[in-house]
Amino acid sequence: MESGRCEPNRVLLVLMLAGLFAWLSLDAVSLAPNRIVSGTPYRAFQILGGWPALALALPMLIVAGLAWRSSRQALRAALWGVLALLTLLPWWLVAASVDLVEPGMAQARVGIGASIWLLLFVWLLALIELRTRLELSRPLGWLLLLPVLTSWWLALTWGQAPLSLYREYQARSDQFLTAVSTHLALVGAAVGTSLVLGALLALAMRRHPGVRRASFGLLSFLQTVPSLALFGLLLAPLAWLGARVDMLAAIGVSGIGWAPAFLALLGYSLLPMVRNIYVALEEVDPAVIESARGMGMSRRQVLLQVRLPLALPIVLEGIRITTVQAIGLTAVAALIGAGGLGTFVFQGLGQAAMDMVLLGALPILGLALIADATISALSERLRPGGAP
Amino acid sequence: MIELFGVTKRFGAETAVDALSLRVEKGQVCVLVGTSGCGKSTTLRMINRLIEHDAGEIHLEGAPVRSFDEVTLRRRIGYVIQSTGLFPHWTVARNIGLVPRLLKWPRGRIHERVEELMALLGLPVQEFADKYPRQLSGGQAQRVGVARALAADPDILLMDEPFGALDPLTRQALQKQLQELQARLHKTVVFVTHDMDEALALADRLVVMRKGRIVQQGRPIDLLHEPADEFVESLLGGMDRGLKEAALTRVSERMLPLGPRLLASERIPYDASLSQALSLMLWHRVERLTVVDGEDIPVGELSLRRLLGGKSS
Repeated sequence: MESGRCEPNRVLLVLMLAGLFAWLSLDAVSLAPNRIVSGTPYRAFQILGGWPALALALPMLIVAGLAWRSSRQALRAALWGVLALLTLLPWWLVAASVDLVEPGMAQARVGIGASIWLLLFVWLLALIELRTRLELSRPLGWLLLLPVLTSWWLALTWGQAPLSLYREYQARSDQFLTAVSTHLALVGAAVGTSLVLGALLALAMRRHPGVRRASFGLLSFLQTVPSLALFGLLLAPLAWLGARVDMLAAIGVSGIGWAPAFLALLGYSLLPMVRNIYVALEEVDPAVIESARGMGMSRRQVLLQVRLPLALPIVLEGIRITTVQAIGLTAVAALIGAGGLGTFVFQGLGQAAMDMVLLGALPILGLALIADATISALSERLRPGGAP
Repeated sequence: MIELFGVTKRFGAETAVDALSLRVEKGQVCVLVGTSGCGKSTTLRMINRLIEHDAGEIHLEGAPVRSFDEVTLRRRIGYVIQSTGLFPHWTVARNIGLVPRLLKWPRGRIHERVEELMALLGLPVQEFADKYPRQLSGGQAQRVGVARALAADPDILLMDEPFGALDPLTRQALQKQLQELQARLHKTVVFVTHDMDEALALADRLVVMRKGRIVQQGRPIDLLHEPADEFVESLLGGMDRGLKEAALTRVSERMLPLGPRLLASERIPYDASLSQALSLMLWHRVERLTVVDGEDIPVGELSLRRLLGGKSS
């Protein structure tokens, strides 16, 4: 990007205009007297005479203007603008709840409407666009989000906005923490075990073509079984085992709970893991292997010093796919009593409490995004031949 | 010294190398040429046991290659391939130091050796030591490849179309560099190529192969003069054979001392080849050239008749 030519940054411009449109025309918040009743929607300009809404609309206009002349300085200013918007938004919510919630309404909840979801989405996209244009490093990008998150946290705790989602969390914060840790433990165990088994299997496949055909066949078949069906299929045999073998029962193996969930997750995780490790090891440039052998490296040295380091980025790619997939699948495992964040989703669905569904769904999304970003960054670092 | 006695290699039903016998003297450059699939690369790779031979024997300095552990054997033999095979995740310096490290040389000695080799191959240490292979041009990468092969100072160098993927200019520069290196180092080299000009330029001993067998072998000049059959003749250039031969002879071998006549206006370096001299004459439409030394000082003259092999000027 030359800063001299200063063409308008269309992406940023469109994002900001879409944000403005959403802010002006869609419902921003809804007020419900209690948890079950659906709320009354309000638009941004119906709150406190519209002045606070203007405080958010103006920066968006300014950022749109900066996008029009997208020199480097303008883009940097736009970055600060977007960050300011993200930081201000929770305080607008505080203001809105002060305005809407009357003192008598102890159970009242303020729900987030379409307009604010869209704003969050659009602003985060704008942040990503700006990060790329300004060539900021990944860590710096994450660091920029820190004040934003702090501001939201402050607004929720100290500002005491009765946001329905936050209320939902407050009501079961202990459960929430247990759910997150169960979720992570299941994912970690499945990914870790599949990594070890996958590596062993991939090495065996390289030795014996028979193993390769059989394993890929079996694993591909496993991948096509719907997850719920697989949980169901594991129910009977594990219940039987748990009932017969005392030692297994002692560590908690039964037809429902963590055991079938873990086994099913492992089954699903193995295919992407094995495939990536196998392909990664196979795809290393044959000329490099040939010269490594020709120079007098032993089999072991070729594997450890050449094949493995060169395969690592693709292996990490496998870990990334597997992790993201396992985070999603673990949500379904809640149905067979394995715990995890899926519990909230299914309980919420049962009680028609959308906020509770979100309390489960949003962290799942967040975890998946974080896992994805972290592992991608790692594999970028480990790309052979130094940083690109 | 490398000796092959009736070496045979079969891949399934196909015989890649058929009862081949060959002897490469110490310090000699032996070039294997032939069309693709004639078994020249297979022959080369059997010497360092990247491919095991099915029958016959291969001896290094009188000892069969099978008597060595294959890893030990390969560490004693330099190996260069067309696509360089440099490790993309290692720096240039680390790539070059590979075999010394495998041989567990002390750190300081490896470091010294790497710098020495980089200087030898014309790769400034400051500029290249910390670069990664993908930051190099084709010619630079191949020079690193040669440096890596020479690292542990092996007596034998196996080169499998090392310059095949380079542009003609770089290829010639590297051929010249290899000749200069060889004049100093006197390695026993087995060089595989399908480029006849390259083969003629580098070979002490030229081996023409076809369908896994040797068709003819000997000094390049002898093969040019007496090709064994039409195949060798066409491989050696057919009607261009005269030019190929002229390319093998230096101007300095044919020039006469400066005579009383005026100096010819067109000049040629004394280490140029007769084919270059002929080309100059054709280009400038002249029959006489002034031969000059490295400092552009006239040292002799070359006439068309002398060039053609005539006795007087």
